[in-house]
Amino acid sequence: MEDRPIISVGIDIGTSTTKFIVSHLKYAKVSNRFSLPRYEIVERKIVYESPMYPTPLREKRNEINLEVLKTWLEEQYEEAGINVSDIKSGAVIITGETATKKNAQNIVHYLAEKAGDFVVAVAGASLEGVLAGKGSGAFSRSREVREIIANIDIGGGTANVAIFHRGKVLGTITYHVGGRLIELNRDGEITFISPSIEPWLRSKNYLLSVKQKLDFRHIQQIAREMCNDMLNSLTGQKPISVDDPLIHSASMQMIPDIDEVMISGGIGLLLEKEAPKTINDVTIYGDVGPLLAHELITQLKKFPFIKLNKALQTSRATVIGAGMQSTEISGATICVTSSRLPLRNLPIMILELNNEQLRNREYMYKQITDSLTEWSNYFLEEQETPFAVHIRGIASCSYAELKELAQSLFFCYKQYFPHNSFLVVICENDIAKALGQLLMLQSNNKVDIISIDQITVEQGDYIDIGEVINQSVVPVIVKTLAFMKN
Amino acid sequence: MSEVDIQRIVEKVLVELRNRMEEKQQLEEQHEREVESENEQLFSYDVMDWVTNVPTPKFPKGIEELRKATPARIGVWRTGTRPLTKTILKLQLDHAAAVDAVSGEVLDSLLKEFNLFTVETCYENKEVYLKRPDKGRILTEEAVKTIKERCIKNPQVQIVVSDGLSASAIEANLRDIYPSLLDSLKVNGLTQGTPFFVKGGRVACMDHIGEILQPEVLVLLIGERPGLVSANSMSAYMCYRPRKGIVESERTVISNIHSGGTSPIEAGAHIGTILRKMIEQKASGVHLEL
Repeated sequence: MEDRPIISVGIDIGTSTTKFIVSHLKYAKVSNRFSLPRYEIVERKIVYESPMYPTPLREKRNEINLEVLKTWLEEQYEEAGINVSDIKSGAVIITGETATKKNAQNIVHYLAEKAGDFVVAVAGASLEGVLAGKGSGAFSRSREVREIIANIDIGGGTANVAIFHRGKVLGTITYHVGGRLIELNRDGEITFISPSIEPWLRSKNYLLSVKQKLDFRHIQQIAREMCNDMLNSLTGQKPISVDDPLIHSASMQMIPDIDEVMISGGIGLLLEKEAPKTINDVTIYGDVGPLLAHELITQLKKFPFIKLNKALQTSRATVIGAGMQSTEISGATICVTSSRLPLRNLPIMILELNNEQLRNREYMYKQITDSLTEWSNYFLEEQETPFAVHIRGIASCSYAELKELAQSLFFCYKQYFPHNSFLVVICENDIAKALGQLLMLQSNNKVDIISIDQITVEQGDYIDIGEVINQSVVPVIVKTLAFMKN
Repeated sequence: MSEVDIQRIVEKVLVELRNRMEEKQQLEEQHEREVESENEQLFSYDVMDWVTNVPTPKFPKGIEELRKATPARIGVWRTGTRPLTKTILKLQLDHAAAVDAVSGEVLDSLLKEFNLFTVETCYENKEVYLKRPDKGRILTEEAVKTIKERCIKNPQVQIVVSDGLSASAIEANLRDIYPSLLDSLKVNGLTQGTPFFVKGGRVACMDHIGEILQPEVLVLLIGERPGLVSANSMSAYMCYRPRKGIVESERTVISNIHSGGTSPIEAGAHIGTILRKMIEQKASGVHLEL
């Protein structure tokens, strides 16, 4: 049976440019006839790529001009030959300096009316880094080789680093390193300094101000030091600390030994160009980008144990990651009330129980009530408060144990959230259908049950669950909605 | 001495005797238990006791991934050109467990727990059962009579459990798969007939049962041929209107059900969905669209 592909879009709104792609995700049954069914996305293909479009900003430069952006996007939809109603999946990612709460809210608002049924807004430096690494080819390379591979995606405002090993994300770290942090006119006169780089500049005793004129050597020195600081931190020569003015955020305390790097983003694209020699070569785009790219390569040579590998995608890595890699497919033995789907923006409540704790009825009950008490404090009573319960840590369990869990969970849920008309459960392991039917029998059709599995989520994540495809699986997008400081 | 006194004395002696006998019996039982637990302690082991590793692998992560990908005995190291003693012993242990699984019998207490009565096929004994698969496909006359007497005819779903080639598969999985299956029938709005246990059954005994009871769909939970990975593996064979002369391609199966393979609770929960689809599409096996 040939299934229709899922049409997915990716929109990357960055500090300097905006990109748009359309891709087809083909899913297929990968299990044999003698096993429980299992589906996977077997092919991810780009069918349309937009040209690079300068991100339209309002005068104060921290807010996206949504009207202009909308017009451009509509043109692109037309160009790609797709209707909004065809789009079943995808993500808009707001990256770098533009990733402020205000912009994100505007975009989310726009998506609700215009962008398609299941397109979601994602933000958060960590997720950006991972998506860029998936788009650049670093992730798939890590599956083929035994080395630890870092993808450094450098755009206008930030450098998002994701570190991969054997197809797993080891961690992410984001630096205030980007081509557009300092903008110049053709003569080298500063026209703009981003507030996010100011602390670092001060710490290095660079006292820059707008209208000041910089010469080639001066810019080179700043770019060199920026790259050097970043590479020293990445190679563990400098400890990771929150006080470091160059570090925006990090998901790990210690960075493992990196064997290979790929460089994507706008800076990745500039690597292919010849090194700038004069101030005129540098300021060709009105910023320090070309020199930053060149200095990065030069500085990288100081670390001979790190191999530089060419990224398959550079400036489009993030949009490709967002459009093609943000959607996952759940396990195929699940239990859902399809009329309640799609569901959007469910925060995740984690319920961690190992096998021993599961067997200890009192402990389990206490875990559940403690977690639910905490969650009920976040919400006002008297209204529906949707969230998803993520159950993890259970390696294997008997049906009797699962029944105890279902009973306790349902009883407590009903007690703490009497106004909720549905319960969403996301299991780490393949137990969703068994748990789902137990919950359904508990609820007696009074509360709709949605129980899915084989999805990894973390505390602080949000999840979107799409409509059931092929009567058996649901597409899922896990989002990390951690915005930058406003 | 009066008669009453004599009677009293005799009674006293009898009580004493009985107490002593009971005491002795208790002591014996206790001793037996002690020996048993001692044996258990001697022979008990867990997975970690058998693990052997390549001492200094060039690519540890790679070998770890390969080992995780298969239950086969790879990356277990060697001595000279031979496997390690531990590896040989584990292989022999697994082989012995497989042989035990074939020759074992399902405990009555387990069948009672789920209210399953027992009928037999024409298998006669284990030896004949192994040599003559055809005999395991036909129920005895007595079995036919019992089934006709005790079972609801023309049920929507008929559940049958059979030891097949592994009694231990039933003992290891029935407590998880069976209640999960019953719940999945409820959730899918299906009703079942009278379930029972077939001793010495082969997969195709479902055809004979189909002739007798005429169910809409039948699901047979049967012990699989034990292997060296697991002796406790079970299959669930399902068929729409099973009858004599049906071909194998008309059966739907979920195989490899055990704690290290297809999860018994998830398999049980999924069977209900498959049975519902069989009834909706009036088909099973290769004709069924899942």
